[in-house]
Amino acid sequence: MRGAFVLLVAALIAGELGAQALRPTGSASLVTARVRSAVPAGIDQFTGSAFLGQGALAIGRVELSVSYLQGTLNHDGGSAAGRDLVEGTLLLGVRALDWLTLEGGPHARAYTLAGSTQRWLFWELRARAATAFVGSAARGYVELWRAVVAHANVPEAFDHAQGGEVGMILRLARAPLSARVGYRIDHAVLGGGTRLETVDGVVIGVGLAWR
Amino acid sequence: MRYRGAWVCALAGALGSAPSRASAQTSDSVFADGVRAYKHLEFDLAAGLLRRQLAPLEAAGAPAAKRVLGLVYLGAAELFRGRRDSAAAVFRRLVMLDPRYRPDRLVFPPEVTGLFEGVRQQTKTVTVDVPHDTTIAPGPGAFGIWVIVSSFQTVDVTLRYEDGAPFRALYSGPIGDSLKVQWDGLDAAGAPPPVNRVLLRVASRTPTGELASIVQIPLDVRLFRPDTLPWPPAPAASAFLPERAKAGPAGRALLGGVLLSGAVAALPAIVGGTDASSGPRIAVAGTIGFAGLLGYVLHRPGRPLVANARANQTLRDAWQRRVETTTAENARRRREVRVMVRAGEAIAIQPRGP
Repeated sequence: MRGAFVLLVAALIAGELGAQALRPTGSASLVTARVRSAVPAGIDQFTGSAFLGQGALAIGRVELSVSYLQGTLNHDGGSAAGRDLVEGTLLLGVRALDWLTLEGGPHARAYTLAGSTQRWLFWELRARAATAFVGSAARGYVELWRAVVAHANVPEAFDHAQGGEVGMILRLARAPLSARVGYRIDHAVLGGGTRLETVDGVVIGVGLAWR
Repeated sequence: MRYRGAWVCALAGALGSAPSRASAQTSDSVFADGVRAYKHLEFDLAAGLLRRQLAPLEAAGAPAAKRVLGLVYLGAAELFRGRRDSAAAVFRRLVMLDPRYRPDRLVFPPEVTGLFEGVRQQTKTVTVDVPHDTTIAPGPGAFGIWVIVSSFQTVDVTLRYEDGAPFRALYSGPIGDSLKVQWDGLDAAGAPPPVNRVLLRVASRTPTGELASIVQIPLDVRLFRPDTLPWPPAPAASAFLPERAKAGPAGRALLGGVLLSGAVAALPAIVGGTDASSGPRIAVAGTIGFAGLLGYVLHRPGRPLVANARANQTLRDAWQRRVETTTAENARRRREVRVMVRAGEAIAIQPRGP
């Protein structure tokens, strides 16, 4: 599966790398995250804030993006101990159309518990559509992803996982700065539905793009 | 007879004292035999030869410069043959042919030059010298006409239509020797000539006011006006930006806001996470929906687009400036009329007697 993805990306980006300028972008966001684990024994729900840093480097139609999220989540009931949440992605993508970007790569997530760390690793395929809808100032985007392979150190077998993000980016005229607001959600199903993991939250951040 | 013999001696002395000048005036080989006979004091022979040599030239209408030499020697020969009237007639022909001609006083004795001068004073004739082919810019002194007269007289210099009607009076008054009359290339009203041909007429009058002679030269007149510049094309309609907002951007903002808000609201259902929290999600959906609504208001249809209107006005102003520049340039070019004047052959008209 991974080999097919690499071949697909290689085919799409062939010929795009020559004589192109690098276009780096970066953003820093505050994420109000909520993690909800539903198992037959009960439901654990944690909420908290996290810092999300994202960066991308584009050349022609090819783009390499990374993200890192770290925060602390507290149990909604107040009885369980808080969890540290760490998450990262490394995605290689290609802008297939002016408004459509296809990406793929690993997405790792870890909940640091008091006694152990629960680790998740998804190999994802993502599709991101973005276009301006209020003049050129406001740009809306919709992103959907689905894990093609996943590894998790939980007893249940991985079934499927998918997620998405919808939001808008406001660009300041003639300035590289932008503001972003969005909503994101990941949903993983394991053990034929015996374990459901949902992570969602609001993303509010500022970005900087060098042109 | 005594008179003739005395002047024969004087003539022989004069010829001997100034051979170079004599030879200079006999350089034209056409009259070489006649002049030689004159110098050998064989005046009968000289007169005969010169008349024979002049006859074909006059028949052929040869230029005055080719005939004057033969005529002055013929006149002198006739004088020394004792035929003063014939000499005067020959000198009259010579004056009519070239009013500027004067016999060389070092070659011809005072008898000859004196008779010639007397004839010249009595003969009222005029010649006109104009550029054969020239192009002028209408204005003072544009076209010069030299009027040369044989002796003091009154002349009328006029331009006339082909039917003889007056076109422009140029000069009327006395001339002692020569006068440069100027035509500005325009008609009496100050406009370029409306016709392609006018007649330059110089009428010479006797002291009593009677017409003595008329010289007329046809002038072909052609006007040349520089081409005017075409009007600069008006800016194409596609070059103008819309000055009123169209419905597209407003609709796009509204629709985009609705779709994105709906996508935010429906995202958990799309990915299967129906147990997602709704509060923050609705807040994001509302923010995006509000942005879309705000975008609709800001881009509402029919809203004046000031920046576009200003850009369009700049475009119109630039075109207007080009029009004004072209108008000024065309006005300048219209004023820059050139008149090509081509002179024909002069015709001498003898006025009818009473």
